[in-house]
Amino acid sequence: MKRLIGVLLGLMVVWWFVGFGQDVEIEFDTLFHEADAKAMENIVNLFQSLHPDIVVRLVQGRWEEYYTGLRLAVIAGNPPQLGICHVNRLVEMADYLTPLDASPVGNLLELGGIDPSLFPEATWKAGQLSGHQYLIPLDTHGWGLWYNKDIFAAAGLDPNKPPQTYEEFVAACEAIKKAGYYAFHPAEDALPRKLRRAWEIFYYQMGGELFDANFTHATFNNEKGLKALEFLVNIFNAYGWNVVGGNGYNQFTAGKLGMLFAGNWFYPTVKQSGVNFGYAPVPNLFGIPYTWGASHQLCIPLQPAGTPLEAYLAAMKLAKFITENAYLWTLTGGHIAANSKALEDPRLLESDYWKESGHILNDMIQKGLVRFPINHPRGSELEKAIETNIQLAVVGQISPAEALARAEAECNRILQGG
Amino acid sequence: MPFLPPNFVSMKRFSTRGLRREIEGLVYVLPYLLLWGTFILWPLGYGFYLSLFDWNPIKGSKFVGFANYVALFKDPRFLNALTNSFKFAAMVVPLVLIVAFLFALILWSWRGSRYLSRFAQAVFFFPYLLTVSVVAITWRWLLDPDFGPITFVFKYLRIPAPTFLSDPFWALPLIALATVWWLSGYRMVVFQAALGDIPQELFEVAVLDGAHINQLLFRVIVPLMKPAILFSLVLTTISGFRTFGQVFMMTEGGPGRATEVLALYLYLNAFEYFRIGRAAAAGVIMLILTLILTLLGVKLLGLKSELY
Repeated sequence: MKRLIGVLLGLMVVWWFVGFGQDVEIEFDTLFHEADAKAMENIVNLFQSLHPDIVVRLVQGRWEEYYTGLRLAVIAGNPPQLGICHVNRLVEMADYLTPLDASPVGNLLELGGIDPSLFPEATWKAGQLSGHQYLIPLDTHGWGLWYNKDIFAAAGLDPNKPPQTYEEFVAACEAIKKAGYYAFHPAEDALPRKLRRAWEIFYYQMGGELFDANFTHATFNNEKGLKALEFLVNIFNAYGWNVVGGNGYNQFTAGKLGMLFAGNWFYPTVKQSGVNFGYAPVPNLFGIPYTWGASHQLCIPLQPAGTPLEAYLAAMKLAKFITENAYLWTLTGGHIAANSKALEDPRLLESDYWKESGHILNDMIQKGLVRFPINHPRGSELEKAIETNIQLAVVGQISPAEALARAEAECNRILQGG
Repeated sequence: MPFLPPNFVSMKRFSTRGLRREIEGLVYVLPYLLLWGTFILWPLGYGFYLSLFDWNPIKGSKFVGFANYVALFKDPRFLNALTNSFKFAAMVVPLVLIVAFLFALILWSWRGSRYLSRFAQAVFFFPYLLTVSVVAITWRWLLDPDFGPITFVFKYLRIPAPTFLSDPFWALPLIALATVWWLSGYRMVVFQAALGDIPQELFEVAVLDGAHINQLLFRVIVPLMKPAILFSLVLTTISGFRTFGQVFMMTEGGPGRATEVLALYLYLNAFEYFRIGRAAAAGVIMLILTLILTLLGVKLLGLKSELY
C-alpha cells in the first residue's frame, strides 16, 4: 500500500513538472466590447487552437474604467501580461507600461520577432516615447462620410457621387433638407466628445492646432477655431441641417438622415439596418481633408519584479499573432489593421466590408489624413474642457466665441497644473 | 461611608453583571462589527487617508495635507457639481417622499378592493425593480428629440418640443423626474407598512370627534408615520446626493456641465483622470454633506429620539 501511495505521489510530482512546466498562463485585458470584443475573441481562440501550451485568459468589455483598472492592476502587482492602449494615451500611461525594447528581460521586440517595417511608419512611431518603443500598432480607426443613396436619389443628387468639396457639400445638404430629410449629422450620436471630434475635423482641415508643441497653452481660440465652431453650431441651428440633441446613428438607420460623419464601427449596424448606404472620405470642406481617428495598440503593462521570461515571450507571441491575423479584426470590428501583411489577406480584400467602406478608410490612413487625438498626461481633462463648452455652444447656451474663450481658459488652467 | 449610596454593594454587583452582559452582547455582534469594520469603517478611513495625498504609487505618493480639499474649493467644476447635487437633492427628496406618500394613501384608501389595490401596488412598485441602466435608457428613449413618444406628443399638439436632455434648463429636472419615477415605489411600500400599523381605533375616534380629512392627515397619520418618514428621508437623501448612474447614462453630465453632480465629478477624477487623492477628498466632502443633510432632516422633523 505504502509503495502504491509512493508511486502515485511520484507520478503526481512528474505530472506537475511536466504539465505545469510546459503551460504558460497569461492574461490579456482589452477595453473592447460588442463587435470588437467578438473579433478579438475569435483571434485569441485561433491562437489558442494553434498554441495550446499558452493559456490565454481574455478579459474584455470594461471601456470606461479600463485605464484606471490597468493602472490599479500594475500598482497591485497583478497586471495582465498583455493589454491595449490607445495611441493618444501613451504619455498618460507610460509609467505603467513596459518599454518593449528595454524590458527587464531584454529587447522584447527582437525576442518576439516583431518587424517594425510591416507597420505604417507614423503609426509605429506614435508608440514611442523618450526613445523607447512602448506599443505595437494593432489598427487605425476613424470617421468617414456615410450617406443614404436613396435619400440622395430622392433629393435629385447622384447617389454614386458623394460631395467632396465645400460647395458640393452645402448644395447636397440643402437639397436633402428640401426633400424633407435631416441633411447631415456631423457627430455620430452627438455625445459631447463626438461634437468635439466634429469640431476638430473642421478645425484641423483649416490647418489649426489645439495646443502649442510643448503643451504650454491652448492655441485654438482664434479665427479658424471660431469659424469651425460656428459651422458646427450652424449645422444644428441656422442651417437647419439637423436638430439639437439628434442622434445621428438612429436617424441614419431609420432612413431619415442623408449624411453622417461616423466611425468605421458603424458598418455592422448600418448593414443590419437595411439602409441603402454609401461610404466616402470625409469631404474637404476647409483645405486639407483630415478626419478624426485613433489607433489601438498592444502593450505589455509593467510586470512585477521576477516575472519569468516565458510570460513576456508568451505575451509577445500573442501580440505578434494578433497583428499578423488582424484581417479578422478588420473583418469583424471594422478597424483597419496596422500590419501590412494582414491587409493583404484575400479574405479581407474580397469581403463586403472592404469593398463597401474599408478600402476608403484605408486610403485616408495611407494618405496620412487621419488625425490622432492629443497625447498629454492630462489629455482626458483637456478634451473634456473643450467638449463641454462646444456642447454648450451647440445647444445655444453660449456663443461660439464665448465657448472657445471658456475652453481656452480652462485648458490653460489645467496645463498650468490647476 | 457618608458619600456612598445605601445600595452601593448591590450596584457594584449589578455593574459587574452589566459588564458581563455587555461583553456577551459584544461577542454576539462581533461578526457584524468585523464585517462593518472591514467593508465600511476601513474604506472610510482609507478614503480619508488617500485624500491627504497626491496619490501615485508608481512614482511615489506625496503627502499634501488638505491641499486636495483646498484645490477642490478652488475648482469651479467642483463648485458647479456641488451646486448641481444640491439642486438635484432638493428636487428629488421632497418629490419622492410626496409621491410615495400619495401612492401609499391611494393604496390604503383602496384596501377594501383587493384586486385593484394589488394591481396598483404592482404598477407603482414596478419601476423600483429596474436597474439604473434600464431606467436611464427608457427615459432617454422617451425624451429622444427624433423618436421619443414625448416629443411626438408635443409635435402632435403642434407645440414646439423642448430639446429636453440637450437643454441645460431641463436636463437636471428631467433626470430628477426619472429618479422620482424609479425610487418612489420602494418608499411607498415603507409608507404603506407604516399606515397599516396605525390602529384603526384612532381613526374612528378622530372621526367621532369631528376631525376632517386635513386634521386626520396632519394630526393622526403624519405624526404616527414619522419613523417611516425619517427612514425614507435618510435613504432618499443619501440616494439623491450619491446619484450617478442616471446622470452618467442620460447626459454624461451635459449639456456642458449642467448635470455634472458630485458623484460624477468624483468618478471622472478617479476613473478618467486618475486623480485619486482629489476624488477621495470629494468623496469625504460628499459623505459629510450627506450626514449633515440627514441630521438636518431629522431635526426638522423633530425625530431625534428615533435615532437611538
